[in-house]
Amino acid sequence: MTVSVTPANFSFVDFDAELIRRIGDGLLEVLGIDRPVHVEVDETTPLGRVRTEIGDTITVRVESGAFEDSRKPRQQSDEATTANLGRALLRARDRISGGFGEAPADDELSLRQIAAWETYCVGRLARMGVPVNQQRWKYNFRNRHGFTDVADAAFERIWASDGLTWGELETVSLEGAGTPS
Amino acid sequence: MADPYKPRAPFAPWDRRQLPGLFDVEETARRVGNYKWAEMKLFEALGGWVATVPELDVKMRLGTHCYHHAWHAELWHKRLPELREMNPDRLTQPANDAMVQFVAALTEPEAPELTIEKLVGVYRVFIPHFISAYTFHMNNTSEITDAPTIRTLKLALQDEFEDWRDGEMMLQSLIETPEEVDRAAAHQAKLEKLILAAGGIAGPGSIGGN
Amino acid sequence: MRKFFPVDSLARDSRFNQITMKQSQADPRSALIATEEKRPKTNRLQPSRADASDAARSLMHGIFVGEIQALEGAGRTCHDFETGTEAPFALKLDMARQAWDEARHVEISVKLSEWMGTEIGQYAENTVLFEAACSTDPVLRLAGVNRALEGLAIDVFTTMKEFGDIAGDPFLEFCEDWMLADEVTHVKMGSDWLRRITENDPERRKKALEFQSVVDKIFSFGGTRSDSQESPIGLARRFRELAGFSDDEVEDIADVSLRALEERKAFARQAQAEAVEQFSAS
Ligand SMILES: [Fe+2]
Ligand SMILES: [Fe+2]
Repeated sequence: MTVSVTPANFSFVDFDAELIRRIGDGLLEVLGIDRPVHVEVDETTPLGRVRTEIGDTITVRVESGAFEDSRKPRQQSDEATTANLGRALLRARDRISGGFGEAPADDELSLRQIAAWETYCVGRLARMGVPVNQQRWKYNFRNRHGFTDVADAAFERIWASDGLTWGELETVSLEGAGTPS
Repeated sequence: MADPYKPRAPFAPWDRRQLPGLFDVEETARRVGNYKWAEMKLFEALGGWVATVPELDVKMRLGTHCYHHAWHAELWHKRLPELREMNPDRLTQPANDAMVQFVAALTEPEAPELTIEKLVGVYRVFIPHFISAYTFHMNNTSEITDAPTIRTLKLALQDEFEDWRDGEMMLQSLIETPEEVDRAAAHQAKLEKLILAAGGIAGPGSIGGN
Repeated sequence: MRKFFPVDSLARDSRFNQITMKQSQADPRSALIATEEKRPKTNRLQPSRADASDAARSLMHGIFVGEIQALEGAGRTCHDFETGTEAPFALKLDMARQAWDEARHVEISVKLSEWMGTEIGQYAENTVLFEAACSTDPVLRLAGVNRALEGLAIDVFTTMKEFGDIAGDPFLEFCEDWMLADEVTHVKMGSDWLRRITENDPERRKKALEFQSVVDKIFSFGGTRSDSQESPIGLARRFRELAGFSDDEVEDIADVSLRALEERKAFARQAQAEAVEQFSAS
């Protein structure tokens, strides 16, 4: 399976479509995703949101900030590209490979649910050797679950997990937020 | 309670302060003026260097110490009118020309690679000379007539000791090779010779002797 | 060591990457002009934003480097001017005090950045703050730095304090509260010295106020700070009053900020059109 990227050339930022494609290919292999992926970069905005649509092709719509080197504006970062594309693809894989059937659609996820799922994705990426800052994701998790010991314990559990279903993820997240289901 | 009307010694048995002191009002004012001048030069240099040192921890310490010495200068500035000098600027002077040369050499390093030299000048030369001059003054002035100066000396000395320790620790952590030991020692020797020529912060007699 | 230190010589370790205001403003991308569907409902930094924690981390890093430059600027004012002839002794003492305060703010920012999961130097450092501290007139420096820049700091800290409060972040709210107290003091120093030094020199006062408004406009970062919800940072009116701004002055800053927001949007539209044009021509 292969990755395609648009635009092929960038005019607002100094990104390399070929590099994005290569990183995507690598991720598909590591993650065992058996479906073509199309990455569409919106280079007109410095924001860093990522949206994914799953069809016969997985389409990942990325705002340029997601692949940007925060140290060097408008330059691409390998690490950010890997981590942010990796997160999107892991989420897509969760949805495709089962166990996440009852997860709400992306735009219906609450901020708490997004934070829990991100934690689950980034924890797995970290174990695959993708460099990530765990504290950053803990801070994000705390902002959505509360700055409490219970929230921190939930974070640790999710971060260390593999093979969770949506139901299991949601249960730990709700416990972390102090509102068990 | 004992009879409150019973006469008591004005100096309690544990109060051993002595009246005689080495300095009259005029000499005290002269020294205080020298101290103020030197503290000003020190806080100005520390402030100026903040932007020139790349080491983040050093940058923050210099900013913090800058204020300590500005505060000492302020305390000396306020002491001068109490010593019959109503125009504090008149006595805000270097002890002598050699002292001016010392400060010029101290503040010369600017390049980002010269943090060792900057710190050596302050923490291995200038501040140790403040400590010695202040200690000499504190131990030789009249403990009764000049108590306000002693109080300021004690406050300043506490900062000087702590800043010296901070600076010395920064230096020890920055000096990593025998060559850097030599660099530090050479700069210290150069500045030490200049302040030797000045006779110290308050000129000859800063710590007694001549 | 020379008098007056150029902004491009500010010493940093290898973690930092500095950019000038000019470079940062040349970025044709802007979140402000995205189409309705793509644009978030509000840009104001608050926990309800989907990207809240990353936006807060990025702003925190901006505060961190701003504090370093504020420290450097205050330190330079201690050094650059001859006591008495160029700057009053008491003004320099205030600047030394400010250097200590800013050093503490750097310490606080480093701790907060760690807490938020940000590495030192993780974001580019915009050196615009120190640029305002390079004036050769101490009064202009105080107008540009203490009144304009530290005024902005009041707005930023107020926004961050509210953010921490709503998010329930115990450290963020606590730290911003303390830093806010210091910044109000610094702005007041600027207001007081401006008034005192230019008391009998209306020409110099006028120049200083003009410089302040130029800096205010630059520091509105093309719309980053204004009353509009489109701006991430709000205008902290109450704390500004405490710091010695008159009602008229606060209104002026509100106007300037809104104008800067509109100008930034117009600039981004044009820059994007030009980039597209250049690209299709090549
Ligand atoms: Fe500050
Ligand atoms: Fe400040």
